[in-house]
Amino acid sequence: MLLLQDSAITDALNSSEWIFPIAECFHITAFAWSIGLIALVDLRLLGVGIQQTKPSQIWRVTAPWTLIGLAVVLLSGPVLFLSDPRMYLHNSSFVFKMYALAAALLFTYTIHRKVALSDTSSSGVRVVVAIVSLLLWISVVFGGLFIAFV
Amino acid sequence: MTFIRQSGLTYPVIMSTHLTCIAIFGGMIAITDLRLLGLALRDKPIASVVNGLRWWKRLGFVIMFTMGFLLFGSKAADYYPNPYFWTKMSILTLIAIHALIFRPRVYNHPEKLDASPVIPTRAKAAGALSLVLWTGMVCAGRLIGYYEPPSQKGHVVTTVSPQ
Repeated sequence: MLLLQDSAITDALNSSEWIFPIAECFHITAFAWSIGLIALVDLRLLGVGIQQTKPSQIWRVTAPWTLIGLAVVLLSGPVLFLSDPRMYLHNSSFVFKMYALAAALLFTYTIHRKVALSDTSSSGVRVVVAIVSLLLWISVVFGGLFIAFV
Repeated sequence: MTFIRQSGLTYPVIMSTHLTCIAIFGGMIAITDLRLLGLALRDKPIASVVNGLRWWKRLGFVIMFTMGFLLFGSKAADYYPNPYFWTKMSILTLIAIHALIFRPRVYNHPEKLDASPVIPTRAKAAGALSLVLWTGMVCAGRLIGYYEPPSQKGHVVTTVSPQ
């Protein structure tokens, strides 16, 4: 992994002072978009928001848009990472963010998806799943921002 | 607001909260705009989306604005000469104008939009402009961290730490 540091990719990414900020704008706009759409499902599971629509419908309607957002996030993220891999790998907040991201993605597309699509799960299960989902994604956001502060 | 500047953790925690609100509140704006454009939830009344999210969006905006104001207040002297900060404030003003124009015509009477056989152009315009303005708002906000005042050019440390 450390070999990446001196790679042509890293050089190319650092050749213009605008590549990093532009990639970051894509990253932030897209994470706001996709996490926000996941949060809409969570809010519905908590019984608030667009109440006339079932959680399964909110999931189905938002899912393609969430995926587009996540695709942009997961494409722009590595661009940021590859600009300085060594710094990121030694940054505790970055490492935390990667674990949180893996957990959040896994949770969203397994348990969260299942509960959201089943309109028969109990309100207790829904509330727990929504809170876990929100906490996981909030951890990812905090982990990302704290990269600059640890 | 000196305490925010002086405490190591307070500033990034406020900034993270600001960002978290952008994410959660941003999703509500996104789904509302997509519905107004006829790109999502087409089988649900516009009124159910607009009315269901109205107070949540307002709550999100208040928290986000408060956090943003605290960030500004703690380092006002640094933000003041920053052109991206003023770009962001200009976009915020445009968002206020968007609200003045489209609240009476779109958001306050979503039932009227549902009564129309096709989504009225004014609703689509409101949705499209909202998406553009909020995307600009997020990008300008991020770019604030990249401005180096002339006296500090060439230094690694910027006034507002980049991510």
